[in-house]
Amino acid sequence: MHADVVIVGGGVIGNAVAFYCARAGMSVILIEQQDILNGTSSACDTAIHLQSKNPGIHLAMALNSIKKYPALQKEFDVDIHFTITGTMLAIQREEQWEVMKSFADRQKAAGLNVSLLDPAQTLAKQPAMKGAELVGSTYCDQDATIHPQNLTKAYCFGAMKHGAKYLLYTKIRSFRIEDNCITGVDTDQGMISCRWVVNAGGVFAPFIGKMMGLDIPIVPRRGQILVTEPVPKLTNTIVNCAKYIAAKFRPDLLGNSVEDRLGIGLSLTQTERGNLLLGGTREFVGYNTRTTRQAMVLIAKHGTAIIPALKQINIIRSFAGLRPYTPDSLPIISTVPELKGLVIAAGHEGDGLALSAVTGEIVSEMIAGKPLSSGIDLSQLSLARFSREDIDRFYHKYAIA
Amino acid sequence: MKEDHLQEEMIICRCQEVTEAEVRQAIDQGCRSLKGIKNRTEAMMGLCQGRTCRRLIERMLSESPQQMPVTQSYRPPVRTLTLNTLAEAEEGGENAC
Repeated sequence: MHADVVIVGGGVIGNAVAFYCARAGMSVILIEQQDILNGTSSACDTAIHLQSKNPGIHLAMALNSIKKYPALQKEFDVDIHFTITGTMLAIQREEQWEVMKSFADRQKAAGLNVSLLDPAQTLAKQPAMKGAELVGSTYCDQDATIHPQNLTKAYCFGAMKHGAKYLLYTKIRSFRIEDNCITGVDTDQGMISCRWVVNAGGVFAPFIGKMMGLDIPIVPRRGQILVTEPVPKLTNTIVNCAKYIAAKFRPDLLGNSVEDRLGIGLSLTQTERGNLLLGGTREFVGYNTRTTRQAMVLIAKHGTAIIPALKQINIIRSFAGLRPYTPDSLPIISTVPELKGLVIAAGHEGDGLALSAVTGEIVSEMIAGKPLSSGIDLSQLSLARFSREDIDRFYHKYAIA
Repeated sequence: MKEDHLQEEMIICRCQEVTEAEVRQAIDQGCRSLKGIKNRTEAMMGLCQGRTCRRLIERMLSESPQQMPVTQSYRPPVRTLTLNTLAEAEEGGENAC
């Protein structure tokens, strides 16, 4: 077998890369050890968040990506349910107000349409919050929701339409490296010679890296989510809370309570069928994907405190996904000087849906040797931004006994 | 012929209204696991969480030419419960279930 590009990983990022590369005329083979969507990309909520992005390259990438989905929806054969909904971030305590205000100010300066709402304005927009004790909220009308499985399937079927081949349930034995250049992938389905390999392994990217002698600083961060029965439209927006932002970016600022250790923060989205996805946690527990009673109770407590209308709604299931977490919460989209022919595209944590389109475009342009149409500064996403000490410290901090 | 047609239209997951043909198509596309069938068709993801259709789909998977052992965990809750009941429940410790 031969391909211009071999992509390792069948999540939303691997499939987006396959789609953009195949559409650009490259021959593509995607290798996945299970089925597509087996990991993080199917164990998440539906949010394409802008308000949860740090102003700077993080927000710039999300803004670039979100603009691509309406056109992609027209091109895809699968309905990705892309809908602009906006996000409301509930603020429960006075001391959070100033922090959220300055976060919102920085986002506004970066081009995001964020406003601060008092409790009455908040309730007018979100009647389901009646009875909650809030000091207000921030609101942005640009965030969107998307169908995670359908987005990944849409990239996959689109890539196949452009000639990409998929090797599912396929294991990689080794990579063929000659003169510091990757020239092939040896799998249990046979040898594939190639010019490029894309490591889109998400939380498994470090294992693929190890097979090439590379240390990639990504650790799994577990997020638990509750699923409710389908109900009529409960919320007009995605709903999060100030603690969600703190848990995402500054886990070090959280206290030592059980809630804080589990990284409890509200996330609520509603699917087209009407199911609510209520989260969530951010926990460092290795590759354990179980849901826990403790987290389920605390998610319910926190969620019903901010949205009392949830109280009488039934949950039908819980699930957990592993988010690929990096030391600075930015993905690694990078070539590696000491290993030609390799691109890493992993470590998007909970931003894979939001950043998949821009990531696919960037990687296809890197491989084609073209200037990036997004104008993103790749040095901020390079593997080389982490020193040897950074990586050692990170592994040590999150090493799971 | 007529019977085949009826079978194609047969709904296998009643909650999500997924037909046998849609499950068959997912298997033909290379899917070999229950999780994959869920992600590709949304079967087993409705109110009853696959109480009836899971076994039927397991059988379809086990009869497919590329059969593999079918493994898939179960997730709480066993029965639906309101968020209020859950919010007022004992948290339990880190290892409670």
